[in-house]
Amino acid sequence: MRSMTLYVHREKGSPLHRMDPLTKLLYVFTSVIISYVLADHLSVLLVLAVSISLLIAGKVARFILPIISVSFVLLASILIVQGFFHPDRATVLWEIGPITLYKEGFSIAFLILLRVLNMVCAFGVLILTTKPDELVETLIQKGLSPRFGYVLLSVLQIVPQMMTLTGKIMDSQRARGLETEGSLWVRIKSFIPLLGPVILRSLAETRERSIALEVRGFNATGKRTRLHRIQPYKYGFALKALLAVVLLSVIVWRIWS
Amino acid sequence: MVRNRVWSFRFSTAALVLIPAAVGINYIGKLFVELLKLPLWIDSIGTVLSSMLAGPLVGALVGIVNNVIYGFTTSPVSFVYAITSAVIGLVTGIMAYKGWISNIGKALVLGFVVGLIAATVSTPLNIAFWEGTTANVWGDALFAWMVAKGNPLWLASFADSVVVDVPDKMVTVLISFLIFRSLPKKVLTMYDTEQEIERL
Repeated sequence: MRSMTLYVHREKGSPLHRMDPLTKLLYVFTSVIISYVLADHLSVLLVLAVSISLLIAGKVARFILPIISVSFVLLASILIVQGFFHPDRATVLWEIGPITLYKEGFSIAFLILLRVLNMVCAFGVLILTTKPDELVETLIQKGLSPRFGYVLLSVLQIVPQMMTLTGKIMDSQRARGLETEGSLWVRIKSFIPLLGPVILRSLAETRERSIALEVRGFNATGKRTRLHRIQPYKYGFALKALLAVVLLSVIVWRIWS
Repeated sequence: MVRNRVWSFRFSTAALVLIPAAVGINYIGKLFVELLKLPLWIDSIGTVLSSMLAGPLVGALVGIVNNVIYGFTTSPVSFVYAITSAVIGLVTGIMAYKGWISNIGKALVLGFVVGLIAATVSTPLNIAFWEGTTANVWGDALFAWMVAKGNPLWLASFADSVVVDVPDKMVTVLISFLIFRSLPKKVLTMYDTEQEIERL
């Protein structure tokens, strides 16, 4: 069983790492919306180039590759399905034996490809340079319920714990003679005996965890004090205003022309 | 007894703590499917189970948190489907409350309805973001065939989602139902908001 952590963020100490999480979050939304508002290849390519140069500026460009590869099936299926079967197909681009690739479909597929890549890269800017704790802390300061902030952060800790538990249970069930390899039916049959104990254990643990939390004042009302003070980000307002202006002008320009 | 507690917005600590555990269960389900090389996704057992245990709102929250965390840690594309996950939690929670998990036959109907609704919610998202494909080989093959035959895009895209979502959600709900039924009472009562506590 692979040991794992859910944190993808890399500490590199670039200007992007010092930027406040909300500005980066706003960048992600601006970038994704613009890439879908604009409909010609060159402008979307430009939006993608901005996201990639931000990744390079944040010194995290090579860590985006595994994240892109997760979406590889989606990208491939877009290219194949739209390239060969798009309804407006008329102009033949390539003909390899019985397979014909059409220009119209390929053009649309390429546009969607750029958009999806931009979506992944723009989110990459946020998730590769921001500690989840910092993001949640900022959101709590902006008014997110601290109880819900706890929920978000505890997911990141509980999932690796459960993965370890899963490894243990898989080993013990195998030791008891459960077959987990073989025909499809054998594998399906082993699903419940593996999953059942993990689920039961984790639900039983939530009972203890909720008692522990309540004892520590989880439901306390009143003003909370903070262990970590986050320094206000100097250029936060200017950058957010800039992003908002860019987004609005792109939308207005698109409606007008 | 107080009615309509299903819609309570004031979550108890137990319900809040259930959310991360349920997201974890979603991850574990997906992990087992990969390890055992089963041909479905089965990535929402936690969402469905938490809806059965603690109601539609907790289920919907589990769905959203699941996709947000998955988007933050593995694949940003999953942000797009946060709405679908929330709806899965909502529908399961409401139908479970109305008694659609009292026996295995009803649970299968519940799974069918959830799958159908999940496909309906996913279709506009698929069309808006990637012109209708779903990245599932079987679904996309059907999509390509239907588009090539001249069917409208929305119909092909809906068929693409349905052939994957309906079997997947039926299996998911079935597994969740089997686990839910075998849970000890001690666990079930934790989330029971309708229970009256007797005072001396």
